[in-house]
Amino acid sequence: MKTESCRRWRESLGAYALSQLPDEERSGLEAHLEGCPECRAEADSLLGVARMLPHADPDRFGPAPAPPPALGKRIAATIGAEKRTQRRRRRFRLSLGLSGATALAAAAVLAIFVLSDNPGAGPEQQVDFRSLPQGVTISATLEPQAFGTEIRMYVKGIRSGTLCRVYMRGAGGADVSAGTFRYRWGADESAVLSAALDLSRAKALVVHAGDRTFVAPVDAKTALHNPTNQEEPT
Amino acid sequence: MSPGALTHERDVREAYAAHAGELYGFAVRSLGDAGLAEEAVQETFLRAWRAGERFDPQIGSLRTWLFAILRNVVIDLGRARAARPTLAEGGVEPSVEPFDEALLAWQIEEAMRRIGEQHRQILVETYYRGRPYAEVATELGIPEGTVKSRVYYGLRALRVVLEEMGYED
Repeated sequence: MKTESCRRWRESLGAYALSQLPDEERSGLEAHLEGCPECRAEADSLLGVARMLPHADPDRFGPAPAPPPALGKRIAATIGAEKRTQRRRRRFRLSLGLSGATALAAAAVLAIFVLSDNPGAGPEQQVDFRSLPQGVTISATLEPQAFGTEIRMYVKGIRSGTLCRVYMRGAGGADVSAGTFRYRWGADESAVLSAALDLSRAKALVVHAGDRTFVAPVDAKTALHNPTNQEEPT
Repeated sequence: MSPGALTHERDVREAYAAHAGELYGFAVRSLGDAGLAEEAVQETFLRAWRAGERFDPQIGSLRTWLFAILRNVVIDLGRARAARPTLAEGGVEPSVEPFDEALLAWQIEEAMRRIGEQHRQILVETYYRGRPYAEVATELGIPEGTVKSRVYYGLRALRVVLEEMGYED
C-alpha cells in the first residue's frame, strides 16, 4: 500500500542500497521498511543491483568494440559450406539406395546442348538441356569438388515416378555414373548427385529418363580445374 | 527437434544480428585480444549451428545458450594458450580472468552503456568515485535532492536493462 510516507522515502532507496545515506536518514528509512513490505521489496531488489556494481570497471563504460563486418560473412560462408557437405552426404546415401530400381518409360528422345559460355563466372557451371519436348525442363548445376563433381539436377514436366540415371561423360568418351533419382510430380527440389570425375575433364552430362536419353555438352573452359582429381576412369 | 531450434542458416544470421555484438564485446574484454575474440565468436556460432537442433527456447534464452557455448570456447582457447611452449617453459600461468567473474563484469558494463547518460554519470560520480552528493550537486548545478533521486532512478534503470538483457541471478 502506498502512503505519504512511502513517497517520502522511495527516492532515498537508491542511496540506501549504495550505503550512501547519512546515519540519521538511514535509521528513519529502516523504520519505514520494517512496516512496509512494498518498500522492503523495492529496497531488496535495488540491493541486489548494488551488489553487482563492484564487479564492473567504470573505465569500461565507454562504447564496446564492435565485431568487424567481415566476421558475420565469414561465419555465414563457413556454415554454408558445412551445410552443402551435409546435404551431399545425405543425398549420396539416398542415390545409392535407389540404384537398383526399375526404369519407367518417358516421352521423347532429344538432342541437347549447353549454354554455359560465361567463363570466370565462378566455380559452379549451369547446364541447360535444350530442344526438349514441350513442357519438359531439364537443367543441372555442376560444382567441382575434391571427390569429383557435384551435380544438382532440376527436372520438370516428365511423367511422375520416372527413374532418371545420370552420367558424366569424360573427355575419353567413358561414362561415369552419378547415381539415380526419381522425378516426382510437384516436387520442387533438385536431386543432388555426385560423380567421381573432375569437372575440367567432363565433356557432357547424360541423363537417361526412362528409355530416353538426353545429352548436354559440358564446356570444360568454364569448369574450374581441380588438381586433386586428375585421372579419368576407364 | 524443438520449435525455435537453430537449424536454418537464416536462424544463425538472426542470432548473429541479435547477439554477436555482445558476444564479441565480451570476448574482447575476457580474452584481451581482438583477433582471439573474433576466433572465439566464430567458433561459438559454428558450434551453435552444429548443435542447433539441441537448442530449446523452453529451457533458456538463445543469449544464455550462446554465452554458455562461448564460455566453453574461451576455456578451450585459454587451454590452448596455456599449452604454448613459451608459457610452459617459463612456468607462467596465463592470467585469464575467470569466465564467470568476467561475464558478470561485462553485463554490468554493458547495462551501464545502455542506461541514460545522466543516470550513468550520477552512478559513476557518487558510487565509483565516491564523491559526496553536495559536491556532485554543485558541479552539475542541481539540487542535492535531485542527485539522490537520480541515484534511485539510475539503479532502477540498470535493473530494467539487466532484466532485458536476460541477466540471470
